[in-house]
Amino acid sequence: MRGVPAPVWIVLATAAFGALALFHLPAFYESFIYLCFFWVVLATSWNILSGYSGYFSFGHAAFFGAGAYTTATLANDFDLPFLWTLPAAAAVAALLGVGIGAVVFRMPRLRGELFALLTLAVTFVLATIVSNTRLDGGPGVYLSGVAIPRIAASPSTTFYLMGLIGAAATLWIAQAVHASKLGLGLFAIHDDEDVAEVMGVPTFGYKIAAFALSCGLAGMAGGVQAVFISYLTTGETFSIILPLNVVLMSVLGGTRHWLGPAAGAVVVTILLYAFTAGGHPVAGRAIVGLVLIAVILLMPSGLLGRFAPRAGGRARRRAVARAAIEPIPAEVEGAPLLAVHGLAKSFSGLKALDGVELEVRRGEILGLVGPNGSGKSTLVNVVSGHYARDAGRILCEGRDIGGLGAHRIAHAGIARTYQIPRPFAHLTVLQNVALPARFGRLAMDRHRAESEAMHWLAFTGLDSKADALPQDLNLHQRKFLELARALASRPRLLLLDEVLSGLSPTEIDHAIETVRNIRDAGATIVFIEHVMRAVMELTDRIVVLDQGKVIAEGKPDEVMRREHVVTAYLGRPHA
Amino acid sequence: MPNAPLLEAVGIGVAYGLATALRDVTMRIEAGELVCVVGPNGAGKTTLINAIAGLNRINAGALRIDGIDLAHLPAHAFCQHGIAVVPEGRHLFTSMTVRENLELGAYRAGARKERVRQLDRVLSIYPILRERLETPSGRLSGGQQQMVAIGRALMAQPRLLLLDEPSLGLAPTIVLDMFKVVREVNRAGMAVLIVEQNVAMALEVATRAYVLEEGHIVAEGVPADLLRQPHIRRAYLGESGPD
Amino acid sequence: MPSAALLGQSLLSGIFVGALYGLLGLGLSLSWGMLRQINLAHFALAFLGAYLTYQLGLAGLDPFLSLLLIAPAFFLVGIALHWIFDRFKVSPFNSLLLTFGLTVVVESVIQGIWTADFRRLDSPYTALKFHIGNLYFPFAGLLTLLMAVALSVAVWALLRYTDLGKAMRAAAEDAPIAAAFGIDTVALGRMLSGLCAAFAGVAGVAIALTYTLAPSQIYSWIGVVFAAVMIGGLGKPLGPLLAGIAIGISEALTMAVTAPAWAPLVSFSLLIVVLLTRTRRV
Repeated sequence: MRGVPAPVWIVLATAAFGALALFHLPAFYESFIYLCFFWVVLATSWNILSGYSGYFSFGHAAFFGAGAYTTATLANDFDLPFLWTLPAAAAVAALLGVGIGAVVFRMPRLRGELFALLTLAVTFVLATIVSNTRLDGGPGVYLSGVAIPRIAASPSTTFYLMGLIGAAATLWIAQAVHASKLGLGLFAIHDDEDVAEVMGVPTFGYKIAAFALSCGLAGMAGGVQAVFISYLTTGETFSIILPLNVVLMSVLGGTRHWLGPAAGAVVVTILLYAFTAGGHPVAGRAIVGLVLIAVILLMPSGLLGRFAPRAGGRARRRAVARAAIEPIPAEVEGAPLLAVHGLAKSFSGLKALDGVELEVRRGEILGLVGPNGSGKSTLVNVVSGHYARDAGRILCEGRDIGGLGAHRIAHAGIARTYQIPRPFAHLTVLQNVALPARFGRLAMDRHRAESEAMHWLAFTGLDSKADALPQDLNLHQRKFLELARALASRPRLLLLDEVLSGLSPTEIDHAIETVRNIRDAGATIVFIEHVMRAVMELTDRIVVLDQGKVIAEGKPDEVMRREHVVTAYLGRPHA
Repeated sequence: MPNAPLLEAVGIGVAYGLATALRDVTMRIEAGELVCVVGPNGAGKTTLINAIAGLNRINAGALRIDGIDLAHLPAHAFCQHGIAVVPEGRHLFTSMTVRENLELGAYRAGARKERVRQLDRVLSIYPILRERLETPSGRLSGGQQQMVAIGRALMAQPRLLLLDEPSLGLAPTIVLDMFKVVREVNRAGMAVLIVEQNVAMALEVATRAYVLEEGHIVAEGVPADLLRQPHIRRAYLGESGPD
Repeated sequence: MPSAALLGQSLLSGIFVGALYGLLGLGLSLSWGMLRQINLAHFALAFLGAYLTYQLGLAGLDPFLSLLLIAPAFFLVGIALHWIFDRFKVSPFNSLLLTFGLTVVVESVIQGIWTADFRRLDSPYTALKFHIGNLYFPFAGLLTLLMAVALSVAVWALLRYTDLGKAMRAAAEDAPIAAAFGIDTVALGRMLSGLCAAFAGVAGVAIALTYTLAPSQIYSWIGVVFAAVMIGGLGKPLGPLLAGIAIGISEALTMAVTAPAWAPLVSFSLLIVVLLTRTRRV
């Protein structure tokens, strides 16, 4: 099982089912299997956006319906042959999805439940519009006059084969996305969208792409189904039952596995059918509902969750020689690597950054210190693009990066660690570190990214944990995971946000040596720390922040002796 | 046999998953004392205060107030035993008015009947709040929010008042006034535990202090002695070698 | 252009149906806004209450008496639901999925017991109506309006003026700190959850009085009531009622002036606009 790649299995299964068509099964069985294929397409297509990225849509019926009515309109009103309507159905549905995504995916508030509700609302709006215009008009649309192509001996066999091809294509696409860079990005978005963006994942573009695929496939299924049932009503087509079924099937089967929704679809369809045939359709639905409840409570990752393959594909593990670190090539001479002028950022009236001026010179370790609340982390967040600045300029080698999206800033070669580690919880340690290598400045391919990741894991002493999940690491290891992740993209500027806090003295010693090695390899480092011992030992220069402003700058031991710096830290005593 | 301390923590440990935030912390607070805990960032000061306030579960050790074991009680029982907290960042109920925040401080049975009188007392300490009683607390300035947070804790009529980094984000003059109030409240008989980053100010008001570093106590004593030790200067400013 | 009488009647029916949206939305809004639980099963529960009212009606029980039996029983159901969410640490999003499963189960049970045939409560109150001039006021509608207003205002007053209500608001905003001041957040949560389920039962009685029942109808309310809840603001007791009535009136007027089929466009377009323009997280 392990050695055979998934696409081969899909081809084999398709061939097997195709061969089954030659046996001239009774039309009833063919139609039932077609129905299974139909739900496989709907559930799997839904999962490409919603399962992989976590943007649960409750509006799948809108895209299914858009496709169904496109086929109905083109076939009935324009006499387009049935098969030609299918690409159009897919295109209309995909365009609808892209249009919605273009507006909604830029709004960080509209995630989770709100995205679900919004997509549900869109379905109802579309249903009303369709039902009131020429598209349907109310009484429904008959497609019995549409000629069914003579692909096979009988209509039921024809639909069987169309359903088979649709399911095979959908599974192929789902599997391909899962194993690709797009899939890795979507899974990262699922775990922590903001961090994914900062690591270089073009989150907006990827969500649109996944949504377009998802909607297009649903539209195509809609077109086929329209002719299969040959009578469309807006009530049935845009019913809330469809998205609910699709969610149920995917959650049951497991949303992290490309085959999960298909497994869920088959189980639910058979279950529902078994009960219907046995004369207890209602009991069947109740059982399905209970199964969903049980899965949510006891098995949240679904039936296939445990077997989910690694997103982004699996490269063959190459032996990693403990090679010397290659120096990062120098680029433009002269200009400081980073220059910040008049940078300001407020949160609800509170000035976190109040006109910060500083410059980071190539190859130095610049210490950024200051009491709690002085704005150090905010500065890192604004420079890396995690927050947008309110005013001021941020120049990277003379180029203003202040207005760029965070993933472009990552492409410019700036990487950062998070003070409280924010690893991607469902990705392995190796995947966590490989991600910035694939999405960062050098945009490495999968193989190179994974060996790069192994290299940095060895460097930080985490290579034995490569296949572990972040939750299995202790704090020290998680901090080093942050570090390895930041290094994997070979950044020109590395922003380290309190990498040492919470570490024991020996761990701190090890970390200090590691940071020194990184600088020696050619990186420029901004080092935010409270552990003064480390600041003194490591930094070439320090900048002191207090209440959002730079109050001192210079050599570490000299600056820390200045009276106003001491006061800022320890407070002024009063008699 | 000497009187048992008001609050006693023996070998307490707090862990978040696999990360240990506090280990083997032993400390005590006598009735009427003003104790402070200082230490660098990430040392575990907030975890310690939260453990005593009932906001964090203790994984090891014993926590007792007046001899009563607190470790197995639900969070809302801590207040009943005379502990009130002014959390870091204040954590007011921002959608509710100043009056509602203060009155909620006296929610516990036993404090509720004294509510009106206590409110008067708090308003005499902070007269500026009188005209802002019906203002949503989220709209107040940082210093005023701190007043409400302290007032809210006082309304619970605690025997032990906990303050977590009360000076954070506040201007120096406001910090000065705040410590004045704390000192007066302590002089009237309430035990106080302050966890602070502003070492100089904290050591001025405290009768006794602990230094917390990397999750456990590294020093304890009277402020004057501690300031003479190299611990604090080194921990905060990084000067190497003895002073 | 429709006549004044028709417009007037439309306005009235819009108010009455809007009141039912509000009554249904009250429990949903409170549990979502204050307990972070999105209880999709609220609708199924309401319909269960409606069917129980019908069944008790068959046994000769007056709907008002049924109400007195159903509300406390559902209160207990709400407590049980809260216990499950608590025990399994169900996230807000998973609560949506879980209660969907529950909806399907309850709907199947309803269909199993009462079949898919239409059921109409047998009571003199269902057909009762009053005439004032050209307009008629159905008793069921008036009762729904009365219950919706009474319950919404009662909850609003509870949250605003009583110690218990303020403690609930504090617990909803910052549960750990509320607990640090002696508020038993778990007990309050259970109570609130029970109250929301009881409100579902009350809505069920109103539905039984007003409509002919069929199990599939459960789903037709979900969209518009969610719209009322979001537009009215999560956790605000008067929100669903005011938003519900606004939606009901807009729908009714749209139906009178254009065609009935355009009515759903109103509430959902409003919902989309609200979702896109609300500046802070709802």
